[in-house]
Parts: sequence; C-alpha cells; structure tokens
Amino acid sequence: MIQFKNVTLEYPVTRTLALDDLSLQVAKGEFVYLVGHSGAGKSSFMNLVLKRALPTRGEVRIAGEALTRYRGRRTALLRRRIGTVFQDNLLLDHLNAYDNVAFTLRVTGVPQREWAGRVTTALRTVGLEHKKYALPVQLSQGEQQRVAIARAIVADPPLLLADEPTGNLDPDHSREVLKVLQNVNLRGTTVIVATHARDLVETFRHRTLTLRKGRLVRDDPYGGYAL
Amino acid sequence: MTYHFRQALLSMRGNVTATFATLTTMTLTLLMLGFVLLLTLNVDRTLEQLESQVEVAAFLRPGTDGAALLTQVRSLPQVRGATLATSEQVLDEMTRDYPYARDAAQLAGNPFPDTLRLRVGRVEDSRTVAAAVSALPGVQDVEYGAGYVDQTVRTLTAVRGAGYALVGLLLLGTLFNILNAVRVAMYARRNEISVMRLLGATRGFIRMPHVIEGVLLGLAAAALALALLTPAYLGLASRVQLFAPVFPIVQDLPTLLPILGGVGLLGVLIGLAGSLFASRRYLRELE
Repeated sequence: MIQFKNVTLEYPVTRTLALDDLSLQVAKGEFVYLVGHSGAGKSSFMNLVLKRALPTRGEVRIAGEALTRYRGRRTALLRRRIGTVFQDNLLLDHLNAYDNVAFTLRVTGVPQREWAGRVTTALRTVGLEHKKYALPVQLSQGEQQRVAIARAIVADPPLLLADEPTGNLDPDHSREVLKVLQNVNLRGTTVIVATHARDLVETFRHRTLTLRKGRLVRDDPYGGYAL
Repeated sequence: MTYHFRQALLSMRGNVTATFATLTTMTLTLLMLGFVLLLTLNVDRTLEQLESQVEVAAFLRPGTDGAALLTQVRSLPQVRGATLATSEQVLDEMTRDYPYARDAAQLAGNPFPDTLRLRVGRVEDSRTVAAAVSALPGVQDVEYGAGYVDQTVRTLTAVRGAGYALVGLLLLGTLFNILNAVRVAMYARRNEISVMRLLGATRGFIRMPHVIEGVLLGLAAAALALALLTPAYLGLASRVQLFAPVFPIVQDLPTLLPILGGVGLLGVLIGLAGSLFASRRYLRELE
C-alpha cells in the first residue's frame, strides 16, 4: 500500500533534514504506529503520503504508483483515498457534527441522496450518532476528535492517517479514540497513527515503527514503545 | 452549485467593506467606459458629418486652364470628387445668398475667380490636399476651413484618448479591488480551505465561490452602471439635440443597445477574469 525507498526529505528554506534515507513498507489492512520524539520525522512521513511535500531523494509509492505521478487533479483524487485526523481536529466551527462529516462528501462530489446514510453510519462507528446536531463547541475534545475520525472515514478511504490524534486528550478520551481507530482498522482500512502516547502503544499493541532524526531505528511487528 | 452560491453570498456579507469598495470602483469604471464609448460613437458621427461637408476650394489665377487643372486634382488619391466653378457661376451662387453681390460686380467687376471645389475622403486629409493643390501652377490661393477642421479633429481625438486612458486606469483599479476582495475572502476561509485540500477537494471546487462572487459583483456593477448611464445619456442627448441641433447625436436604440450591452458584458467579464486570477493566485499562497 505504502512504500518508501531510500527517501530523504530536506526542507529547503530551513535546510532541515526531516527524513534520512528512510525505507519502509506498510501493507494493506495493517495498523501501524509511528513513534519518535518531536522532530523525528513522523509528520514529514505523513506529509509525503498526503503529497504535501515531495521527497528530495528516493521514491515514495502509494498504491503501487510513484508519488510524483499524482499531479493536479490526481493529487485531489489521491487525498480522497486517504482519511486524515490531526491533533488539532480541524472541525469547522459553524457546522454541526453531521455537517462536518458530510463536508467530506460535499467536497468529493458524492450525491446528496447518499449523505444521510453514510454520515449516520460514520457517526455510529465513532459512537456519536446521538450528537449529530451538536456544534463542535458543544462537544468534549474526545468527542470532537471522534467527529474528525467520522469525517475521515465517511468516504470509506482505504487508508487512514492519524497524526497525534490523542495529543490534546486525557487518558480516558485517548483510549476511546484508539478503540475507534482499531474498529476502523477491523473494517479493512489501513491505519497509520503517529503518536507520542507510550501507554496507548503499550496497551493497544500493533506494529510499531520508531523514527529517530528521520531514520527508521526499529520496526517491531508486535508493538511496544522503545526510544 | 447552491453551496457555492451560498458561500459566495456569505463571503460578500462577511467582507462588506471590500465588497462595497469593489462594487463602487467597478460601477464607476463601467459608467466611465459607457460614457467614453457613447462619446466616441457621437464623435465618429460628427467627424463623418464634417467629412461629408468639408470642401477644399482652390482659387485660380485669371487665364488658367481650369479644365486641365480639374483633371490633375481628380488624380490625387485623397480626392473623392472635384468640380470646376467658373467666376460667373460663383457670382450667381453669391447673388443667391447676397443679392447685392451682382450690383457690386456691375460697379467693380466680378471679383470671384474660377474655383476648383474638391471633396476629400477623410477630413484629416484636407491639409495634405490643400498643400498639394496650392503647389499647382495657376492656383492663386487655397481655403479649406483649416482652423475649425484641424482643431475639431484634434480636440475630439484628445477627448477620446483621455477617456480611454481614464478607463484604463479605472480598470486597473477595479482589478486591484477584486484581487483584494478575493484575497480577504480567501483569508477568512483559510481554515475551511485547508480542510478542503486535505479532504481531496479540487482547486476548481475551492475557487468556485470566489469566482461566483466576482461574477455577482460584475453583474451588480453592470446593472447599476446601466441604470445610471442610460437615462443620463438619453436626457443629455435630447438637451444637446434641442440646443445644438448641428451635432448628429445618436439616440436610436438599435445603435445604442450593443454599446450598453457591451458595457454590461464587460462588467461580468471583469468580475470573472479578476476573480479567476485572484483565486488561483491566492490559493497558491495559502498552500
């Protein structure tokens, strides 16, 4: 599904080496943690998968195709196949939970008659069907993050990227969010979670990739947090 | 489309100052443009009338072979037509306008020389033709109303040029206003735009509300400009016609409609082009 071959990413303005000769593969249907200190390259990895950046050297392939081949409209189409969840949930304040989730369907051109069923299913998956009319300010941070997950999965993307999805949450809400992400993975979606949360990685064990200064220093197929 | 339309209206409501500034300059530009176009139309009509009336008169020395000269001047490329009036014919004409002319001629002799009368193709050619004819042997003097023709042509051309220059400046101002309005609107939507990009929205989808905003502003400005321009022009035209009937002021709708329609269409096109350019540019900035 995702293949990095000797990928180096250097940000030209700051001359920061974000990824250094990184090679890894993530297969379809996997649940993978990406761990490492701040600046280890977790977000840069995500940015490359989303084509918000291009590698300075090496090759990134998504679904068998080189990242550089995704241009113009194809970049938008690539992103439609990737659900994203961030630490800052990026919900639109003026829209309620239902409309925030439906926003994905709107921008991707899904016919309106399909919205109700798909949004309700997505909200049910994250356990928030009863709060569909609540505005983001009326939801707890954990609930907001679950709405963001619902928005990310409503179009049934084959890949879900979550960058520090529990960064702003207390332990209880963090566990809630992780359970939701696991459920999404059980439906067949490949899930990649970049996180600092050692306890979650230890509790919900999955393949764990450890990055340090942009290099892959450990690939533990059975999980565990070791920096 | 309803979503894009609603977003465009929300954006206009959210940025009232920028919207109002754009609308005002666009309306003024279109008004000015309409005014200049109508002025040009009337200037052209006036010049056409002048052209059809302007005559170059060459007065011949006594004893000159007028018929030979007539053949010569007819071969000039700028000359559309030429006639020879003998001194007796000229006296007859003068007598029709001034009955005492014949009495005066009986006392002092016929003072009018044989005269070549030339019509030129374009009024601007009068001076050239006059110069060419005055150089011919046997021509004593040439008159072509140089004073008023030259000055009129110069004045009207200058007014038209100044009008176009002003319209050019106003167009530039309008474009900058549209750029600014779209920039403010896109900046206000930056969070939404960033979410849209992540969710896989195409550039066209993101830009659409801003393009609609530009077209709506263009339409509103065109409607305002035409609502002001049409009655103002027709009112002014009827007054000019009343007090200076010598000017052939255009008042017929079949002639005016394409110009007024063009002004309206230009308003929409400016809005469309400005917003397309601005949304493309500022979306890149936000990325």
